[in-house]
Amino acid sequence: MTSALFKLRLLPPFRPLLLPPAQQMSMYQPTYIDPIFKKEQQQVLTETGEASNLAHIPIKSARNNDTCSVFHDNTVSKFTNYIMRKGNKILARELLEKTFENVKRIQLERYNLAEGDEKNKIETNPKVILHRAIANSRPILQLTPIKRGGVKYQVPIPITENRSLFLAMNWLIQAAKEKERKVHFPEKLAWELLEAASGQGRVIKRKQDLHRQCEANKAYAHYRWS
Amino acid sequence: MITFIHSYLLLILFLWFQKVSTKIWAHILKFHNFVRSQIWCFGFKSYRKEPITMLVRCLRGVSRRACAQYSTVAEPIQKLDDFRTNEATVANHGLQHLGKYYRIEPEVKKQLFTYGGLPKSFEKQIKTFGETCLMVREPAVEVMHYIKSTDLSRPTVRYVLYGVDGAGKSLTMAHLLHFGLEQGFVLVHVPWVANWFKRPKETASSGSKEGFTDLPFDAASWLVHFKNQNASILPKLDLKVSKDYVWSIRETTPAGSTLLELIEHGIARVKFASDTVEALLHELKQHSTAGRCKTMVAIDGYNALFYPQTRILAENKVVVTPDKITLTKPFLDITKYDWTNGVCILSVDRIALNEERWESELPQYQLGKEGFEHVDPFVPIKVDNYNNKEFHSCINYYLNRRWIQNSAPGFDDELKYLSASNPFKLMNICAPL
Amino acid sequence: MFLATKLIEQNARNFAPRLASCHCRKLSTDPHASPEIDNDEEFRVLNLRQVQAQARPKRVIKKDVAAPPRANKMPVDQDWGAVWPGPKTFHPASVPLPLRQGYTEKAAAPPSKYGNAELMKIPNFLHLTPPVIKKQCEALKQFCTPWPKEIPSEEQWNKHFPMEVITTDYCHGLPTIRNPLSRIVTIKFKLSTLKLDKHAHDKFLRLVGERYDPETDVLTIVTDRCPLRKQNYEYAQYLLTALYHESWVTEPWESLKSEADMETYHFIRNKSKVSAEEILNWGKTEGGKKLVAHEAFGKSVENLMNEGENEYNIQAYKTEALKLLGLPSLKSTSP
Repeated sequence: MTSALFKLRLLPPFRPLLLPPAQQMSMYQPTYIDPIFKKEQQQVLTETGEASNLAHIPIKSARNNDTCSVFHDNTVSKFTNYIMRKGNKILARELLEKTFENVKRIQLERYNLAEGDEKNKIETNPKVILHRAIANSRPILQLTPIKRGGVKYQVPIPITENRSLFLAMNWLIQAAKEKERKVHFPEKLAWELLEAASGQGRVIKRKQDLHRQCEANKAYAHYRWS
Repeated sequence: MITFIHSYLLLILFLWFQKVSTKIWAHILKFHNFVRSQIWCFGFKSYRKEPITMLVRCLRGVSRRACAQYSTVAEPIQKLDDFRTNEATVANHGLQHLGKYYRIEPEVKKQLFTYGGLPKSFEKQIKTFGETCLMVREPAVEVMHYIKSTDLSRPTVRYVLYGVDGAGKSLTMAHLLHFGLEQGFVLVHVPWVANWFKRPKETASSGSKEGFTDLPFDAASWLVHFKNQNASILPKLDLKVSKDYVWSIRETTPAGSTLLELIEHGIARVKFASDTVEALLHELKQHSTAGRCKTMVAIDGYNALFYPQTRILAENKVVVTPDKITLTKPFLDITKYDWTNGVCILSVDRIALNEERWESELPQYQLGKEGFEHVDPFVPIKVDNYNNKEFHSCINYYLNRRWIQNSAPGFDDELKYLSASNPFKLMNICAPL
Repeated sequence: MFLATKLIEQNARNFAPRLASCHCRKLSTDPHASPEIDNDEEFRVLNLRQVQAQARPKRVIKKDVAAPPRANKMPVDQDWGAVWPGPKTFHPASVPLPLRQGYTEKAAAPPSKYGNAELMKIPNFLHLTPPVIKKQCEALKQFCTPWPKEIPSEEQWNKHFPMEVITTDYCHGLPTIRNPLSRIVTIKFKLSTLKLDKHAHDKFLRLVGERYDPETDVLTIVTDRCPLRKQNYEYAQYLLTALYHESWVTEPWESLKSEADMETYHFIRNKSKVSAEEILNWGKTEGGKKLVAHEAFGKSVENLMNEGENEYNIQAYKTEALKLLGLPSLKSTSP
């Protein structure tokens, strides 16, 4: 009886559930698509006529931090979430805003002191500095322990984009947390960002150390597949 | 490239001296715009600092309207200086300068505000921006207009600044202090009264008055502030002390010594600083009434003088009220109407009091009945949030000073909604941008 | 004896299955089965169980047939007053109207008037139809006097008779005709009709307390402490007289009232006036004519103090203060 229904295509063919666990627990069914909350993207959708295609597709509701503000930036939002501890997002956002302010003040003072062509070389936009710092701190390889013949080898493996972004941001935050008790987190983070953006500092060194280690363990690379 | 610019500038100069007609100028401007766009393409990133446009405008001295009329890309030229004014003399600031920024020279800033007077957050901005600029706003212009049209032989007029938090009361007062300095007023300026009552550096029971409390270090630092602000005018006026002031058996300030000597003594002998302040203000009042000088009193957070709570404890661990502090009386006396050749600018601020009195920022509520009666009849001056013009001027200034660097289209509207046009909030919201 | 009963019992047990089949046969409607039973007549079966008695026909209860509603027979031009002479609970048969009342499910008509408790619950005014009222008025007319020509309008009426006396008569079914509530007398009038000066007005208001409504300016006195209506009415009159005269009395201690006891801020009594006048008379010699503070300034200070502070009051105060201090306003002088 049921097989007849499948044959008649009255029911979709049975497939084992292959969704990731997070999606399995989601309050939304897999048919739901992510919301498009930015004004420009919506504009594009309406212009291309894509919007009418979406009209009858169920859409998830926008999250709290999805905003159509002109100042919204995905990286900044992500970075805020990584700074956040125990769900205290207000504090996390405050810290990052203060960091940006510090970065800006430091750079503006440099900018005002500089003369002539030097001026244009100084980047004063804190968001650009954050992007640069993250881009500079991203690793391209990482080490993973693999057991072969009772010995654990640190094997270099390629890294996904998301993972490398996460590592870069997390290293920046960890570096900023290693500080004197009297120094405030935003001050330290501002310095770390500026250093990383200019390709120096502890985070860059950490990345280079990792790369060096990977280079040294190049011989174990085949353990990944054999 | 550079030689090209030079020759181009020379050409314009030449044309200027030839006094060509406006029609030709229109053509030149068109060509100039073309050249400018080319130069811009070559890498002059910031169009706000165009040397050529500046030069053209300075040379021609024609109205900006004429420029706009003939220029095809008039917008950037207009934006260039829109939010600034070159009027350095504060007394000339009028309604036509409203919403524009004027620059305070570093020496003036040093003289007026070394020991306070500008809010801390504004001091920070000065450091970041590399210049001290104040916006010409209506309250300051209004008060200056009143002061200019006051008959100084009449009793002192009291102006009371009020407004919501962060609206710019203290900066309006700073603007007026600059005015006072220019106009040759002796400045009696208290940067923030509540500092005395909320966090005094030291307290001591008064030697001269039974049951009163002295704030010796605060009084001395105020004397230093007074001396600094009036460093240029006091020697010129050469005011003398009218009677002998006996501080102790060995120390006296005899009649006929200058006010500066009195101040010096107060600073050197911190113990008598509070009494020196009283003597100084008393003398100043008399000199002003006699017409030997004119005095501008500017007190920020004036309502704290009438608030019956302080954080000061007397020797018997009882909270001291402001009227039992020696510094209070002289400043109350000098804000009375019983003297002439003076101006009083007072600001009431709810932050000067405790939270129980934060319900309203209006002057009568803030002063209380006693305070109201003390300053009545006064001229209430409302310091409001930015209006449209001021807001856009401020945004342009921030763009110019690179305080705002992420500006997508429509960002100013969003900032306006977020800050509700409140100057302080706007500054803070722009901080991470 | 004992044995005999036992035998019978045994019999009964042996016959039980047969009995059952026999009943079955009786119950079955097969036509061939019945002659067999008839043939077995000589063999009488011991029937220990009780045989079902023949069903008696049910007694039919005769009900009186309800007469058709009399509303169906009513002529169109009948005298309605005679059908429905007084207040009465609704009766569907006597009202020739297709009334419906009540809540039902969606898209269904409300229940009709028959057996409708909703209609019976609500008060009706079927006894007070316009023709009936007209008729009653006609009947009462012989007892009325004409309206006085001297007070044609309501204004005149209010002017000459400012006081309104309200009493209530009750009509009810009790052995006594006197309702205790009918003794209560209420008098109402506008306070503005009394001639009072400032002090008397203030004192009067304090004496009457919440009997006075400041919004409508109406004073209401209710008297109910005497057993008779006349007594209560006279007591109300007395109260009013006493109040009026008492409010004109000024006690000697009233002059001791200090500024702190004042209910409202008075400019004349306060320091504001002193300072304003000192500023106005600054530099004048002793003998010279003294200026008095502007009345408008005093008013603005009073408003500020009494009405509470708001932007409007402060602006008014500012304008007046500028006038007092002789300063030209910014907007008027500048181009």
